[in-house]
Amino acid sequence: MAEEFEPKIVAFLCKWCSSAGSDLAGVSRMQYPSNVVPITVMCSGSVSPLYILNAFNKGADGVLVSGCHPGDCHYIKGNYYARRRIALVKELLEYSGLEPERFQMSWVSAAEGTKYTEIIKDFVKILKPLGPQEKLRRSQ
Amino acid sequence: MVNLDDIKKEAHRILKEKKVKYIIGYTQGANGFPAVPVFIKNPEDADNLVWNPACIHNLTRFLRDEKKRRAREKHPDNRPVGIIVKGCDSRAINVLLQEKYIAREDVFVLGVSCEDTGVVDEKKLAKKLKGKKALCFDWDENRNLVVTTEDGKSTINADEVLAERCLECPAQSPVVYDILFGDKVKLSPEDRFKSVEKIENLSQKERWAFWKEQFDKCIRCYACRSVCPMCYCDECVVDTISFAVTADTTAEEKAQKIKWIDKSPVTSETYIYHMIRAIHLAGRCIDCGECERVCPLDIPIRFLNKKLEKEAKKLFDYEVGFDPDQLSLVSSFRDEDPEDFIR
Repeated sequence: MAEEFEPKIVAFLCKWCSSAGSDLAGVSRMQYPSNVVPITVMCSGSVSPLYILNAFNKGADGVLVSGCHPGDCHYIKGNYYARRRIALVKELLEYSGLEPERFQMSWVSAAEGTKYTEIIKDFVKILKPLGPQEKLRRSQ
Repeated sequence: MVNLDDIKKEAHRILKEKKVKYIIGYTQGANGFPAVPVFIKNPEDADNLVWNPACIHNLTRFLRDEKKRRAREKHPDNRPVGIIVKGCDSRAINVLLQEKYIAREDVFVLGVSCEDTGVVDEKKLAKKLKGKKALCFDWDENRNLVVTTEDGKSTINADEVLAERCLECPAQSPVVYDILFGDKVKLSPEDRFKSVEKIENLSQKERWAFWKEQFDKCIRCYACRSVCPMCYCDECVVDTISFAVTADTTAEEKAQKIKWIDKSPVTSETYIYHMIRAIHLAGRCIDCGECERVCPLDIPIRFLNKKLEKEAKKLFDYEVGFDPDQLSLVSSFRDEDPEDFIR
């Protein structure tokens, strides 16, 4: 029997909220799919569009950017910048013909371990029927 | 109507008074080319200036060279540079001012209004003339292009030969200038983003098929980057080519020389190149269309920039190049920025 496709998700989590949120999910022993590769960044505002494109380029099937809720940013306004920038990247990716579901953004606070697991579960559920992402993957 | 003699007279005057170092303008090219960029230093040469519907080039790109030259010189001549700009080019000056790349006193802007027309699209015109060479052409009062070929005169309606960007232009007359030639006009095109909608209306699969075909043509000559007045970084992210890693290459060096994009022209790499180019121009591109003009493979690069211009307007109510004092698109935010896509 053919193995079921397991999508690979690259998640850029901000150090102060989302990363702590994923830690909370871990230490609370909440069950969630192991498809996600978390990368801690200092702030969601520090996520360059290049990181996102490169994750796809290196074979990610989905990319998640997650930061603090508006108003909660450790650097006061980093997530506001992220919100604007990511909106542009999302529009552009969609415009260029990539499945828009492959790229998501979320606000996860340090207390929202449950929300984090929900997001990952739903993301995997969305990505599975889409199949592997071949469009932007670098051919070897 | 724009009077060429006025432009020549003013150019002659400011050069004679030594107000400017030199003037960047347009002149008649060799081989019948109706307009090519020219640098004029002597007042007598001001007579060589031309103004016609073929003045497509965005001359603000040369301000970048000027800045670099000035930085190298030991005793630089700090007088301003005279530059002839159309409406779109003047917005490029505004963006450069906004980014503090140039100072207002570095340039002496000779603004020329496009009035109700603009510049011609070389390809559209060539198609109309069916291979015949245009010896001379100009706009008449009724928005018609009067072309003289070896067969005689003919007139073509402006809408048929105007560059697509001119049909969608929000600023036909310069928004920043020291001297203005022609009338100040403010036409509002019916639909500024008509060309983008053509692609937006395709299905997701068709869009990918369209862009894949376009990006696969790319030979990565970087002409679009070289011609862009906004691409002035000393170090470009796409240039991080492979470097030798030896025993004493520090981790820091490696971290700073990440190879983001492969040089090989395969779909995945050219895709990233064009995406990054477009994103780096978000809120900065003034739609002068130079990138598309110089592309040897006719990739419709303008559609990418125009899309981001549209989103900036739609999502953030951001207009490029009208106010040199506004904060740039990605270094500002509003509380009401949309976040319905965020979970």
